[in-house]
Amino acid sequence: MYLLILLNRDDNGLKFTTISKWEFLETLKSRKFLTIFFLQISVLFLMIFVFNAFATNIESQQGISITPSLAGFASLDVDDEGRLFSKYINPDLITITHSTFDESMENLNAGETMAVVLVPEDSLDKIRDIGTIDVKLYLDQADPKRSVVRDEVNRTAKLMAVGMSNSWINSLTPQNSTPEVVTQESAGESLPMQIITKAMIAILLFLPLFLFGNMIIDSVVGEKERKTGEILMAMPINPSDIILGKSMAVLGIIAIQIAIWMAILLITGFEISSPILVYLLVLITAVPVIGVTVIIAAYSKNYKEAGIGLTFGYILIVGFIMIPTLAYLSNKSLISNISPLTMVMRLFSGDIIHAYEFLIPIGFMVFLSAVTYGISIKLFQRDDVVFGPRPGLIRLILEFVGLKKCIG
Amino acid sequence: MKIFYLSKKEAQDILTNKIYLLIIFVQVFIILGAFGMAVATAVVADPVLFDSYGITSNLKVGVDQDISRSQMAEYLKEQGFTIIKYNDREDAIKYLGNDLVAILENSSQDEITVTIDNTSPFYPVVDQKINDSITKYQQAKKLEAAGLNQSTINIIQNPVILTEIPVNQDYESPIAMDSSYFVELMYGFIVPFVLLLPFFMASNIVTDSIVGERERKTFEVLLMTPLTSTMVIMGKIIPILFFSLLQSMAWILLFDLLQVPIYNPAMIFLILLFVGLGFIGIGIIISMLVDSTKEANSAITLALVFATFILFAPLFIKAPYFEAILNFIPTILMVRISSTPIADPWLILSAIPTILISMLIFIISVRYFRHERAIRL
Repeated sequence: MYLLILLNRDDNGLKFTTISKWEFLETLKSRKFLTIFFLQISVLFLMIFVFNAFATNIESQQGISITPSLAGFASLDVDDEGRLFSKYINPDLITITHSTFDESMENLNAGETMAVVLVPEDSLDKIRDIGTIDVKLYLDQADPKRSVVRDEVNRTAKLMAVGMSNSWINSLTPQNSTPEVVTQESAGESLPMQIITKAMIAILLFLPLFLFGNMIIDSVVGEKERKTGEILMAMPINPSDIILGKSMAVLGIIAIQIAIWMAILLITGFEISSPILVYLLVLITAVPVIGVTVIIAAYSKNYKEAGIGLTFGYILIVGFIMIPTLAYLSNKSLISNISPLTMVMRLFSGDIIHAYEFLIPIGFMVFLSAVTYGISIKLFQRDDVVFGPRPGLIRLILEFVGLKKCIG
Repeated sequence: MKIFYLSKKEAQDILTNKIYLLIIFVQVFIILGAFGMAVATAVVADPVLFDSYGITSNLKVGVDQDISRSQMAEYLKEQGFTIIKYNDREDAIKYLGNDLVAILENSSQDEITVTIDNTSPFYPVVDQKINDSITKYQQAKKLEAAGLNQSTINIIQNPVILTEIPVNQDYESPIAMDSSYFVELMYGFIVPFVLLLPFFMASNIVTDSIVGERERKTFEVLLMTPLTSTMVIMGKIIPILFFSLLQSMAWILLFDLLQVPIYNPAMIFLILLFVGLGFIGIGIIISMLVDSTKEANSAITLALVFATFILFAPLFIKAPYFEAILNFIPTILMVRISSTPIADPWLILSAIPTILISMLIFIISVRYFRHERAIRL
């Protein structure tokens, strides 16, 4: 492909902008790229659907079930003629069967139910006479889900007790007595909702940065595999222009992808405060991410090796982005602003952010960009790295830090 | 016999591939990490474990002078909280979220204001314990006013006595943590996720194997051997399917070692076998559609994202309208079967749609493979 560019170059040689423009336009024309691009957008819609379902579950005030669709996860037989107890049981997780005690115990012994609750027949009399009700729970220890039933039965017994206590208190205490009023306030948004509305949406915006690694790998490793790298290196093109040209093209694609994703999130009702600032923060993070990808691509011999390197490289980057943000959720320290994701989350939260705080992630991203592009250009300039025999990683690192003598 | 030789070669390729072996190793870390996460979540969210691990005593509740002298402070202490008396509410608010998890204030003659730090990871337990203290306090105040004797007050405050009678203790399930949070997380998500992980890898191995042959230009040679297309496919997929099933069975043993027993492994095996065929079928179809390993990797990643959505989103979404369909989702079936010591054998009938869909995908992939598209004629 570079032969085509070289045929069109001017006398001053190729600039990285020409390479960027060519790569960018070729990518946009590729039908396969467009297919993947739109499939990624459909993945975004799936995620929006899941997030909305989560948020609805959390906001429902009926308690959160970890696996809300698993109705019938556990089973319980109840001998409770007056339905005093069973009316309080949450049927979302537990299947309740009403039967006599003997039948229930038969079911329990046959492994057809996990537990039996026996509510005494004279319970109504006890309620009338202000007496204690002894509820018995026969729990199958052979079933690992016994704790699910135990917790639900405990919760139900507590609800029943509160109901009985209140009923007695209302009948025993004078109607004109002034009850103690308790006002409950909550400070801050709940952690699960914070994770959904701030962390998850922020993570979604950062996701496109990791979807184009293969494009860079193809662009750099592809030259090695297709054996066009030799021709490329023989031409009067500066390696830094090649690296910058290829990287800027991918950055352009990522910029479009983030803009589209943000637009979709806004249209589907998600709130993104300061969208332009958020956009710029995500985009500036893309620069060192591409830099790291180019390093991996420049060092790798083939697609497979690059793929493994990319997986581990991206795990490290995700760790770097995520850990300070998680730290920020629990401990709002200044250092957690090192991750642009933290800053995006703070923008979502409507925090007052001072200008110097913006400098922390931006400065760090600029520094990382300079380091990663510096390394990738150095690597790309070396014939042994591009054409082989490739030096080992330790040898390369020692050479980079100026310890050549140690390796002879 | 011919299939055997091809399968043997494929098996050797898999077992000598450092990447595949590395991925097996990574899966062990995923299982151990997920187990650790479930343990940590259970400790944080379960009030019983919360107390037994001594976390409650480290949680401080700020109370004003009036509350500190009232019965309310005693009820809070009963719940295990450490009480900190404060003089100025403004000062106390500053510590909310850092040192204090909640603040209680007697705002007027008959009103108590409770402010709880909602952002705390311990919020659900703190909220529950404070609410219990408030309920008791309100009841005590009313009963005190009514002039009832202490024995009646005790009955009114504790009207239900729940006694647990353990059954089948000789066959007690050796679960690592007898906590509903732990059990729901492990069986409700982690077990099906981990048991399906090898099949995610299987679809990658299939594309690697088929597209790799095409890239190395050995695919034409393979198709010219006296093997039918079906035999080629069977020879390629048998070791991959066996390798994946073997991993899943190894993870079942690992779960047993971690004291998360997986029940009815034969039924689980059957479901995994057919889900695996579906995954491999998708891998074969993708291999036919793409030109290179790179393209195959991108396409398989997207296909697996969709598969993940179909298989795992139903575990976390409450959809009453789709309940009938949800019962046939293989992951939901796996949850029910793996966590029930004596599973109803008829439950396996719910796997019929999975079996039919997987077979259909597989048959389509075999037919598609026979097409000359395989060698781009």
